[in-house]
Amino acid sequence: MVLKIFFPQCCNRADSGLLVGRWIAGHDSAVVLAVIHYPFIPGQVKQYVQQMQAQSGVELSVLGSWSLPKDGQEGMESFLRDLSTIFPQKCWLQISRQMGKTGFTCNILNRAQNGGAAQQEVTKKKDEEDVKSDGEAGGEEEDKEEEEEKVIFVHYEQRKVMLSQLHPIENGVPDPKTDPPSELRQMFQTVAHSQPLFFLDKYDDGPLKSTHWQSEGREASIIVELLKQASVPLCLLLSCLLSLWTWICNIRIFSLHPLRFLSSKLSTCVQLSYRTQHMRTLSSPKPAAGHTQFMRKANILVSFLVDVALGMLLISWLYRDNHITMLANTLVPAADHVAKELEELLQWLMGAPAGLKMNRALDQVLGRFFLYHIHLWISYIHLMSPFIEGILWYGGLSACLGLTFALSLLSDMVALLTFHIYCFYVYGARLYCMKIYGLSSLWRLFRGKKWNVLRQRVDSCSYDLDKLFIGTLLFTILLFLLPTTALYYLVFTLLRLVVVLFQGVLHLSVDFINSFPLFAVGLRICRSYRLAEGVKFRVLCDEPGTALHLLMELNPLKCSTVVQTYRTPTYSCYPKDSWAALVKKLFVGELIYPWRHKTTKAD
Amino acid sequence: MGPDSAPGPAVPWQKVLWERQPFPDNYVDQRFLEELRRNEGLRQYRYWAVVNEAGFVGQQLSCVAIFITLWLYMEQGLLSPETLLSTSLVCALLGYGLYQVLTSSGESGCEPRTRLADLQSATIFLSFTFGFSPVLKTLTESVSTDTVYAMSAMMLLAHLVSFPYAQPSPPGSLSLNAALFASVCLASRLPGALHTFAMLSCALLVFALWPCLLQRLRENAPSQFTGVCVGMCVGGVGGLGSQWLGGAVLLALALGSVTLLCPLLLVWLQRHKDNIHGPWDEAEIHEDLSRFLH
Repeated sequence: MVLKIFFPQCCNRADSGLLVGRWIAGHDSAVVLAVIHYPFIPGQVKQYVQQMQAQSGVELSVLGSWSLPKDGQEGMESFLRDLSTIFPQKCWLQISRQMGKTGFTCNILNRAQNGGAAQQEVTKKKDEEDVKSDGEAGGEEEDKEEEEEKVIFVHYEQRKVMLSQLHPIENGVPDPKTDPPSELRQMFQTVAHSQPLFFLDKYDDGPLKSTHWQSEGREASIIVELLKQASVPLCLLLSCLLSLWTWICNIRIFSLHPLRFLSSKLSTCVQLSYRTQHMRTLSSPKPAAGHTQFMRKANILVSFLVDVALGMLLISWLYRDNHITMLANTLVPAADHVAKELEELLQWLMGAPAGLKMNRALDQVLGRFFLYHIHLWISYIHLMSPFIEGILWYGGLSACLGLTFALSLLSDMVALLTFHIYCFYVYGARLYCMKIYGLSSLWRLFRGKKWNVLRQRVDSCSYDLDKLFIGTLLFTILLFLLPTTALYYLVFTLLRLVVVLFQGVLHLSVDFINSFPLFAVGLRICRSYRLAEGVKFRVLCDEPGTALHLLMELNPLKCSTVVQTYRTPTYSCYPKDSWAALVKKLFVGELIYPWRHKTTKAD
Repeated sequence: MGPDSAPGPAVPWQKVLWERQPFPDNYVDQRFLEELRRNEGLRQYRYWAVVNEAGFVGQQLSCVAIFITLWLYMEQGLLSPETLLSTSLVCALLGYGLYQVLTSSGESGCEPRTRLADLQSATIFLSFTFGFSPVLKTLTESVSTDTVYAMSAMMLLAHLVSFPYAQPSPPGSLSLNAALFASVCLASRLPGALHTFAMLSCALLVFALWPCLLQRLRENAPSQFTGVCVGMCVGGVGGLGSQWLGGAVLLALALGSVTLLCPLLLVWLQRHKDNIHGPWDEAEIHEDLSRFLH
């Protein structure tokens, strides 16, 4: 039997009094939360403890007595003994510390056994000079009972433990030195929940005086309270605006098919809906229920603020020195230039590119088809050119909603400006895909096999003569035309991949800003004890025959775990395919990142 | 305890597993080899019968030779596509009539094809070939001639290797497809679209329809079959000889070895055949190949 007493460091030099705390049920351990000083009226103490218990929901009780006698105070033994009868408990701790000596004594009055007569005495000496660092303790144990009982003092820093959130240890074997996690968790919860106990200031004029952790900045907390009060009407206003916005969004005209499809494809709209959802989370006037929700709200708020700040920076750059006009003036020639380059590429493909043997007729047909497309595109751009500056000017305003909006808008504009590349890619891919599928099924026919749909395997089959003939004819034609199509497909796929890569980088950065838990990371860096992953115990004294004397320190959570745990969930713009699947899709000619997702068809 | 350890003579060994016996599991007694049989169901080949059968291989070889000869003629302009087409038409009609006669004289097979189905197939062949011939003509334009020749040679070889000589009547998919692929490759080298069309029709005749007719001939008129085979061989050698003498010599050598030498070898090696049969399962050796990989 080992009795663990969690003792706050701030109470080391407290005046004599009563120890208030909690016995942790099921584990032989006690958490000391505060010391109530003499003189007191026992009835008031009882009332106070009950009141605190009601407020905090923690089973508080008077654990025992604490004595640190000043000079001239002697002969308290009988008084202390009597106290245990006033506050009837199963176990009564008498912890005392001598001012002159380096002593720290703990008597345990066990009234459950032997009618309260059994007594055990543990003497602990503690170094007077440095309380926090390793002290020297000498202990004598008098075994008056059959079973041997030891006392372990675990010193903890009350403020850190109160504020920290204990995270489950991931795939780690619990240290044999540490207590079982459930007990530790209970202890953390006890300290965290008994915050009402710590409101009693030592300068307060009340019937009771006590020692525990005390906040030093009352003024700051007043400001925080005022802010909290002020945030409620703000939240109400926000939610009103949001409901108006939602109502606008839900007008029937927006849910018609083409508009809805378009809005699901434009990343600006996606970002807008996402931001709306965030704001709805933020604007609920109720306080956050738990730690997770609080952190979520704080993360969303901080990343929103950072986002808007970055957007403002962007705006201040854009609207200074006519940057918009400059951009617009470079955009049209750039698009023209891209079109010219594409035309040259097509001319090259229509010749004998890289000495490849292409089918001349098909090559000419495909080349002319794509050239006509580019021609259409250039006309479109030139038609648009007077309006581009205006579009940029008004689009730039969206940055005041945040940098993410500007980035999403940029992504959409890139998508619209490179629509011809997407079209080329789709045509090339469709053609190539048809050829590949045709070739694969004709190759089975060539070998006298067929695909059995029911059994999902290749069976042998005897074909008719005409089927064989036509199949072979088509097979030969497709085989000889494949290189031409494949080359067109390859070139346009590369172009498409470049665009996809650019858009992917934009989307990733938007997603990063949206989901990165800035608040949690800041908390981890500035107040690393707030997010704890566990505790470590430093042995202050471990001599044979003496009680163990431990100092509990908090292990901060790893940064990667912080990011992983507190990432705001977002629409995933991450590629769903693995690399191998992507390469396979590219090889077979399936569309990658299509605008319209095909519904999975049943076999 | 091994299989040789003599058990007590009191208990005779029984070849049963359901009784407990004082023998090890792998024990057998002297009667074991009594059930050994050698060369069971052996067919004794006779030389001329084998030569007669091998004639099919020889004539298929010369069919390929005849096709190549026709292609050579076409490429050099010595044979006009119209001539080839009309000849093919006449041959096809004659062959169809012969086929019908042979079918009606022999046992009527299960569910014979109707005339309408035959006509439909013929229409499909002709229309598709005619429609695709301009495409086919430009198909291998940019591919070098050597590549086309190499591919055709490979495919014709694949045709010969995978031809189902024993049962050629529904032509084997792989062999027919390989032959058609080769003929498309070769036909695409010809100067005009009509040439391509004529060549493909000819290929259909030679590779798809002729083996069916020949098979019917072999079943119903064996004496004429031999004569036709010899005629085909002579025709193939002669035809190739008119264009390419070395090729004709090679073909003649190949034909001789396939139809005369190989059967001789088969009959001679028959004496050394030694198959054993008995009431046992054959041991299958599953070598653990991964041992050799390290």
